[in-house]
Amino acid sequence: FVSCQVEILDWKTKKQLCFLDKVEPNATIRDIRLMFHRLYPRWYPARQSIKLDPKGKSLRDEEILQHLPVGTTATLYFKDLGPQIGWTTVFLIEYTGPLFIYFLFYFRMPFVYGLDERFTSSPHPVVNLACICHSFHYIKRLIETVFVHRFSHGTMPLRNIVKNCLYYWGFAAWLAYYINHPLYTPPSYGKKQINFAVIMFLLCEAGNFSIHVALSDLQRNGSKTRKIPYPTKNPFTWLFFFVSCPNYTYEVGTWISFTIMTQCVPVGLFTLLCFIQMTIWAKDKHCTYLREFKDYPSLRMPIIPFLL
Amino acid sequence: MAVSGSGGSRADNGYSSQQPRRRKGPSALATAYLVIYNVVMTAGWLVIAVGLVRAYLAKGSYHSLYYSIEKPLKFFQTGALLEEYLLITKYLSGIVPSSVVLTAFQVMSRVFLTWAVTHSVKEVQTEDSVLLFVVAWTITEIIRYSFYTFSLLNHLPYLIKWARYTLFIVLYPMGVSGELLTIYAALPFVRQSGLYSISLPNKYNFSFDYYTFLILVMISYIPIFPQLYFHMLHQRRKVLSHTDEHKKSE
Repeated sequence: FVSCQVEILDWKTKKQLCFLDKVEPNATIRDIRLMFHRLYPRWYPARQSIKLDPKGKSLRDEEILQHLPVGTTATLYFKDLGPQIGWTTVFLIEYTGPLFIYFLFYFRMPFVYGLDERFTSSPHPVVNLACICHSFHYIKRLIETVFVHRFSHGTMPLRNIVKNCLYYWGFAAWLAYYINHPLYTPPSYGKKQINFAVIMFLLCEAGNFSIHVALSDLQRNGSKTRKIPYPTKNPFTWLFFFVSCPNYTYEVGTWISFTIMTQCVPVGLFTLLCFIQMTIWAKDKHCTYLREFKDYPSLRMPIIPFLL
Repeated sequence: MAVSGSGGSRADNGYSSQQPRRRKGPSALATAYLVIYNVVMTAGWLVIAVGLVRAYLAKGSYHSLYYSIEKPLKFFQTGALLEEYLLITKYLSGIVPSSVVLTAFQVMSRVFLTWAVTHSVKEVQTEDSVLLFVVAWTITEIIRYSFYTFSLLNHLPYLIKWARYTLFIVLYPMGVSGELLTIYAALPFVRQSGLYSISLPNKYNFSFDYYTFLILVMISYIPIFPQLYFHMLHQRRKVLSHTDEHKKSE
């Protein structure tokens, strides 16, 4: 029975932080993180970055010690990732904000449009419709976060949440301000425009939800191995024939429909930023798929069929 | 000497990508192009400087000197935008360090001052604050572009290097003061004329208040200016002490 020894050094100072002996060769990095945590209680596993090389990538939990290019005495490097927050918590905070902030403007709180307009309501039906759609969108996202999504990494750095919240909450306030403003002007093409937008909105929301369910089903048995998502019997998932990340495609579609529905420049700007951000994420994901799977369908584009 | 000079110029007023790095300097053609570009920019700012001096001597006072150099100022300051754009594209392809963000702010603020404030609000063109920032920019740019020119030709006089990394201590606050005072002077006229502003109600449900925007711009100087200034001070310590060591070892 051969046992290994593991020393863990600080990535910057190279000072030895701990020395573990009698480690089993088939121990995983996860086990090592737990052992390290016992010695340093304030560095819980999620905040530990353990790597083979001081400037290298963090090792995943599933990696096995004896499969790594180390001798019987392994030297690993530790970097503190800072306080971490779970993805579920992040999403809950990010999505609850816009939901309630929009209401502040919809119900015209006195501090928003002045005392004269307080608690009044808009004469335009589209304003009520917009509130329903916006709220529906974020409630759907909250439900998905709790019941549907399965997250691959557990956490993200705490300071990201301030940045993300500023962005989501700030934009929600900005676009809610204009839509619910007493001087709001309804869309130029009236009911035709609004009805078209509502139908597009519902289709895209249904599509987005279908994709999330399909992606979550891929990981049903809790395996951490990635699989190529394929179209299912649900027609909304047929977009997988053409696109790697149809959830992002549908999401952009949702926001385009909301822009058409409200005919509001700030909404359009938000849609544009969403589109840019999601294109970046989609391209990233697409590249990862291409790298991991030799038989990846060649017809697929990252986010827009045939184009992008 | 040119080695430490070009190494030290990295990431101060930016445009460090113009500097030939020892490990893989630019080709002869690229160098020639860069030399010509920097000579032209130096000449341009010298034209502005000469224009200022001549106008001052002719008028006998320093008021309203803006008009005598308006065109070349707009031309050469906007030319710097092209420079910055080239830098940003290099940054996006991962070559240039991230202080590009800070210098992008600087170029943006200069172009903004030139076009969106001084040009747009005619009433401020006779303000003394305009002269303040024009003089600061002129001296800074002449030194900076001649610094680049000499660095590229590997014959950098210590005087130019010293000037570049020392005069900013006075010129930078001078320029910033001139800029802020000019924006402040423009405020009442913007409010009065509703310049670049759009109000509700309108078809696209959008409003923009240029007055508030200008105030936000002024406020943004508070976090940004000290960062740039201390960055330059840090560079100064690095570059000028480097040369001293170099000299001592000879």
